[in-house]
Amino acid sequence: MLRGLTVTAVLCTIAAGGGRAATFDELAAQAAAARRGNHIPEAIEFYRQAVQLRASWVEGWWFLGTLSYATYQYAGCEAAFDEFVKLDDKRALAWSLLGLCEFETGKYDPALDHLRQGLAAGKDLAPEVEAGVRFHYGLLLSRAGIFDRGKRELERYARGGAHEPMLIAGLGLNALHQPLLPNEVPAERLDMVVKAGTATRFWILGENDQAEAGFQELVNQYPAAAGVHYLYGTYLSHTRPQEAMAELRRELELNPANADAGATLALLLVRANDLSGALPYARKAATDQPADALAEYAYGEVLLGTGDPRPAIARLEAAERLDPAALEYHTALAGAYSRAGRLEDARRERRVSMDMAAGVPHPELNAQSAQSGARSPENR
Amino acid sequence: MTTDGLRKAGHWWLAAVCVALAGAALGASPQPAKATCANCHRAEAQSQPHTPMGIGIELPPNQEALEAHPKLTVEENGYRYNIERKNGVSTYTVSDGSGTLSLPIRYAFGVHNLTFVLEYQGHFYESLVSYYQKIEGLGITMGDERIRPHDLTSAMGRQTSDQEIVACFTCHGTGGVSQGKLALESLKPGLSCEHCHTGADAHMQAMAGGKPAPIPRKLGDMAAEEMSNFCGQCHRTWETVVGLRLFGEKNVRFQPYRLANSQCFLGDDKRIRCTACHDPHMALVREDAYYDRACMACHSAKPGAAAAAVMQKACPVADKNCVSCHMPKVQMPGAPAVFTDHDIRVAHAGDPYPQ
Repeated sequence: MLRGLTVTAVLCTIAAGGGRAATFDELAAQAAAARRGNHIPEAIEFYRQAVQLRASWVEGWWFLGTLSYATYQYAGCEAAFDEFVKLDDKRALAWSLLGLCEFETGKYDPALDHLRQGLAAGKDLAPEVEAGVRFHYGLLLSRAGIFDRGKRELERYARGGAHEPMLIAGLGLNALHQPLLPNEVPAERLDMVVKAGTATRFWILGENDQAEAGFQELVNQYPAAAGVHYLYGTYLSHTRPQEAMAELRRELELNPANADAGATLALLLVRANDLSGALPYARKAATDQPADALAEYAYGEVLLGTGDPRPAIARLEAAERLDPAALEYHTALAGAYSRAGRLEDARRERRVSMDMAAGVPHPELNAQSAQSGARSPENR
Repeated sequence: MTTDGLRKAGHWWLAAVCVALAGAALGASPQPAKATCANCHRAEAQSQPHTPMGIGIELPPNQEALEAHPKLTVEENGYRYNIERKNGVSTYTVSDGSGTLSLPIRYAFGVHNLTFVLEYQGHFYESLVSYYQKIEGLGITMGDERIRPHDLTSAMGRQTSDQEIVACFTCHGTGGVSQGKLALESLKPGLSCEHCHTGADAHMQAMAGGKPAPIPRKLGDMAAEEMSNFCGQCHRTWETVVGLRLFGEKNVRFQPYRLANSQCFLGDDKRIRCTACHDPHMALVREDAYYDRACMACHSAKPGAAAAAVMQKACPVADKNCVSCHMPKVQMPGAPAVFTDHDIRVAHAGDPYPQ
């Protein structure tokens, strides 16, 4: 009742203008008043009219976007921030909200790019907003088949204590290397995805007894499904490398196209000092998936072990370009440069690695991240 | 036969002669003597078992420090720890005033400082207190200083993962791990030749049988980076330390990491590799002057000191006991142990510890 009266009052104020079209200044003032009075639908309408009169009004696009987002009007929000970022491309929140709206309206490829820009743009995201942005970014990375980077983002979100069904499904899809969003999972695969996500979440949280039980149930129930043995093998690789290798070999029998399974197996063999055994797996993974960072890294590690650091460096540099936020690619490259006598390169990579490990933002790394993220998902 | 083939054949012939000569010197019968690495590599084989790497773990009843200190006691975090020795076996006991947990010490890891690996209810635990030579007593185990136990089990020790315990026995013993799994029934203390010289056993057996055999890789071919990674399999590589984010003074005991951070570390140069200073077959030398030759291999002002090698700036302060200034001693946080910092640098008093 009160809200109805208020709306009426606002409209009367407009009518009091004598029927003439409102000026930009009048609309801007009315928009601000409505916003401050928490009359959101009216505020949105005033802002919409105001930016039509003055398309360069940055503040107008901002409030039109944020108010639309707050009221679940994703198409309007998307349009507003699409204009906003043309006028001001430095606001992390603007890029982020644009990406989140595009996620909601199903424009997944631009959403991925804009969320990345939001995260790269700066530090003005509130922690809870950043967590949400990273979560959606992780889902979209997985959908684009960029599983290793998607995994990092989803893990980060899970470590924060989240456990909603969408996260569980997202973790499961990522872990099984299925390039889908949670709402795209076919009904017949949902149980497997949820089981994989649940066990993976326990693993992330360090609850290993429950993770182990979950993974065993998954393997027993879906022994022939793609990705299941890869997931269990990856889990085992940290504690029981021999069993991990058996699981990864099983995955490759069922799903020879799983380059990450081949790459992970190659890395385990390198650690077991079996370079000749590792070489065919690493080479095949890197050949089959030339834009797979893990495959490039594994091939680089194998080549490094065989002696000549030069071809190894080329592979490790490729891995680093593809996924500059992966610490192990930088540390491996530092060692390879060092072995090759490239002292300055080695020192630079050591410095970057130590900064990354210590959580210190590094300008060289940020630049690399931005370049890397500019690639379209289709390039993967 | 190729040149390479001749060279390999030459190695085989030479080693066979060594085996035969060694047998003759011992007055053995013409039958093949039991082959050991000592037949050909006598000096290394005699000295290495007495080094810290050669000892690795002390198993009962051969636990010198525990024998010499049959009763050890300390209180930490509100718990009382006792180690008492009877009939050649030490028992590790932790109590909180109302309860007690006692376990036999089967595995005492280390030489001067001992950390105990304990078995309890089917799991392995790293003891929360260790023996330290410097105080001839017990203190919190290095790396565990932040643990705040909440019951007798957690006060007794830190449960290890499967991978961690396999790594412990891999680096401190021989035969305790097979196919990536523990095989403690065949565990022997310390590192055998085969541990570093992969293929040494097969090589030796073949030589003893008079057959040609592949020569184990010559580790002396490694330059600094490769050797750091090799030794770092147990002493922790630079990559491992960074990957685990082990920053601060606690990483002073991970020498390959510290060395790689040194300004003078050249990954493709042999003059700064681990064995440029340390012979792993010999006991650790504690005289500073012993290491001067390694520093002077690069930093000598004397012409001809290292012909054809790239020379670096000579020290303007001194030409001996280099490590006393450039490799400062660092006290381990929370533990009565001091380590030499292998991050070689111009160190000033009061400088912060470089990560």
